[in-house]
Amino acid sequence: MGVFQFRVGRKNPTPGELAKERLKVLLVHDRLRLNPAQLEIIRQEILEVVSRRLAIDEEQVQVNLMNADGAEMLYANMPIRREKVKFEWDPPSGNYHAYVLEPDGQDDEEGK
Amino acid sequence: MDSRVITITSGKGGVGKTTTTANVGTALAIQGKKVAVVDADIGLRNLDAILGLENRIVYDLVDVVEGQCRLRQALIKDKRLPELYLLPAAQTRDKNAVNSIQMEQLCQQLRQEFDFVVIDSPAGIEQGFRNAIVGADEIVIVANPEMASVRDADRIIGLVEAAGKSEPRLILNRLRPDMVKRGDMMDVADVLEVLGIDLLGIIPEDESIIIATNKGEPAVYDKRSRAGHAFLNTAQRLLGEEIPLNEVQEPASLLERLRRLVGFGPAPTEKRIRSQSS
Repeated sequence: MGVFQFRVGRKNPTPGELAKERLKVLLVHDRLRLNPAQLEIIRQEILEVVSRRLAIDEEQVQVNLMNADGAEMLYANMPIRREKVKFEWDPPSGNYHAYVLEPDGQDDEEGK
Repeated sequence: MDSRVITITSGKGGVGKTTTTANVGTALAIQGKKVAVVDADIGLRNLDAILGLENRIVYDLVDVVEGQCRLRQALIKDKRLPELYLLPAAQTRDKNAVNSIQMEQLCQQLRQEFDFVVIDSPAGIEQGFRNAIVGADEIVIVANPEMASVRDADRIIGLVEAAGKSEPRLILNRLRPDMVKRGDMMDVADVLEVLGIDLLGIIPEDESIIIATNKGEPAVYDKRSRAGHAFLNTAQRLLGEEIPLNEVQEPASLLERLRRLVGFGPAPTEKRIRSQSS
């Protein structure tokens, strides 16, 4: 489910739909008493963690709170930069050792 | 005695709390219940005017609480319905003239006499609001399908829960079906989805409310008032009757009425209202 999901086949949301979607976001902020600066901290921290594994387009990252089916939800939309997709994982031993796979087959430097 | 104390509140001002209190209270009395409507909006007395009883006030709620008079002396009998009484607010005092303990005691006293005690809460979330809900068994939130009102309603829901009361129910007031149809106003289902509470009534925006207020006769007396009819339905739901939530379905377009006549149109039930926006 997207953060702003409107009636299919309609380009712009109607004022009524806009009101509902805005309220869903606004009320979660109200309930959690979370201001935009605090959400930005959360956004940075999520980005930091995910970026260890995936190359994320930082400009496009959206972290939003909203109400869905009566529950407060955190939505993070994090587009992956196609040209720099890489995947690292920890071996079962637990020792940190990065394996880097680049689409072009070249190994990437760890932790750049 | 199994009397019920119901508080009508909203957070935001001007959404129709007093109108709702007057109409629901009157409708319950029409149904044969013994009803007291209580104006807890101390300092901004209005329920008396909506009921057309403004000329009869001698004592008020604060007088009762302070022991200046007995409860029965302050209760004003309605012009038409012998089982409807008003306990007016003081006009010269403010919300801090009464505390929560006094209000709770007052509710207990009213329970002895009445089947229903309907309390008109002031706007806001301060002492006046807390006084209005402290003695209530049930809370009814009035909201308009509009950003500020729904936001404030959500805040009130949180405060009602924090006060240990059961989940409030919603009366969605001043709905404009024409605007909903155009997509310019939130639908009933939208507001319910956002607030997540049960619906008690849908009241369409209606000029007859202003006319009724001007006359000092609640709209429930006006057979042609759509809002009045919706308030009657709301009161019947409070009494446990299953009245479909279809207040905004009429007047249907000619085409829809024809379809319904032929038997193709969906029945105007609550389910239909809930599914409208999906």
